[in-house]
Amino acid sequence: MGMIDITDLAVTFGHGAARVQAVRGISFSVQRGESYGIVGESGSGKSTVLRALVGLAPVTKGTLALDGDTLIGRRSKAFYRRVQMVFQDPYASLHPRQTVDSVLSEPLAIHGFDDREGRVARALDDVGLGLGFRFRYPHQLSGGQRQRVAIARALILEPEVLLLDEPTSALDASIQAEVLNLLDRVRTERGLTYILVSHDLAVVAHMCERLMVMQHGRAVEELSRADLHARVATHEYTRTLLLASEGYRVSDGAAQGAAS
Amino acid sequence: MTPLLEVEDLRVSFPTRHGRTEVVRGVSFSLGRERLAIVGESGSGKSQTGRAILGLTPPPGKATAARLNFEGQDLRNATPKQWRDLRGRRISLVMQDPKFSLNPVMTIGRQLMEAATRTSQTRAEAKDHALAMLEAVQIRDPLRVFKAYPHELSGGMGQRAMIAMMLIPEPDLLIADEPTSALDVTVQIEVLRILDRLVTDRGMGLIFISHDLRLVSSFCDRVLVMYAGKVVEELRASNLAQAQHPYTQGLFNCLPKIEGGIRPLPTLQRDAEWAR
Repeated sequence: MGMIDITDLAVTFGHGAARVQAVRGISFSVQRGESYGIVGESGSGKSTVLRALVGLAPVTKGTLALDGDTLIGRRSKAFYRRVQMVFQDPYASLHPRQTVDSVLSEPLAIHGFDDREGRVARALDDVGLGLGFRFRYPHQLSGGQRQRVAIARALILEPEVLLLDEPTSALDASIQAEVLNLLDRVRTERGLTYILVSHDLAVVAHMCERLMVMQHGRAVEELSRADLHARVATHEYTRTLLLASEGYRVSDGAAQGAAS
Repeated sequence: MTPLLEVEDLRVSFPTRHGRTEVVRGVSFSLGRERLAIVGESGSGKSQTGRAILGLTPPPGKATAARLNFEGQDLRNATPKQWRDLRGRRISLVMQDPKFSLNPVMTIGRQLMEAATRTSQTRAEAKDHALAMLEAVQIRDPLRVFKAYPHELSGGMGQRAMIAMMLIPEPDLLIADEPTSALDVTVQIEVLRILDRLVTDRGMGLIFISHDLRLVSSFCDRVLVMYAGKVVEELRASNLAQAQHPYTQGLFNCLPKIEGGIRPLPTLQRDAEWAR
């Protein structure tokens, strides 16, 4: 039994002709303290898996379990205390009319934490922002600073599991490095369990011990970090991804020219 | 032979509460029939450089240059008529986000036909040309996309439709502002292949604006690295690993690697000197 067990998960949106099978039977489990990656292109269903886990997407089939307890229907307050999510777009996931202080205080109020003052200050400190940012609005922050606030908001409840949906894809490379280092550091310090969704193989290779490659709502294959380092992939699609992430090769153009 | 485009001491400024702020501060380069990359982080002035070349600096911003020549023609004082003949036909611009640059109330087909009527004699010919171009950018069902409205397409599809539209008039110079950033890696390679063929077969000049150093180093011939509105380094793309400027080195080193690398990742230590 792992920290998170997902068995044969399927998610379907819409009805009739507009029916979309976003996830078609995915199974994996993540151990406590492990960092697990999900890689895939847009529309592969990778984000939907995370959303189904936190109850933001309808589960049509299969079971989800946290620490052995099966998750059914509306998630309890206790669940969100243990599992928190960081979304992709820091421009869309922070309320434009709430200060950093209210963004961070609200979850504390909901879950009845004491010493809110001190916790907000510590959370800001943990993500490298400091107290000077406490009463700013999102529009007064850069993209990287916003994502740090989003991470602080997730961490302030002292969760055990952090679900990261493309946490750095909206950021510049230099800022991405800082945010990835931050995530790496808090995981070591607090023994957190991560599920990180990304389209960037290099980010996942850096952050995760194991990963799953998804395509069209299905799992293509599961790899370890060592496999990725050695570029050992059995499935054709994974090989294509590996090749594409190396960048452009002159032979790409030549091969196409010869074929057409 | 005169170069396709010559830019000397290009400056773009915007008025702020504290006077005018320059976002592009004296950029100079010349472009032949090659792939030139402009790389930098958000706010480095790379997009404003691209827009200024086409005279598209949004007011109240102002662009000035000591020299701005396109095939010998001075663009600095071009009349609206001259711009109309240049924009779209001779110089094209692909923007980053299809959501904001496609007309939401026109089908993709009508927008493509608008571009195609200039090169075709009849409507039927224009339609064939548009469909062929959609096929060229690897859209599997060109007829469906032709009839669709922008909101009915995914980001990647919209982006490819926009690239198709910009390439229909067969421009001599294409300015592509992050054309592939919204695309999946595998689709990205397809789009680059199309651009690559246009440069090698048709001799088009390409300015490829991007934040992705790794991609640029594998695709382009030359790279200009911008920081705080200035070009801090210019180098052959193949020599990127031997970059001299600490900013270029920092940008390159902070990328995570599939082969595994240093943990924690080296971060960029900015130096106030660079912005001087």
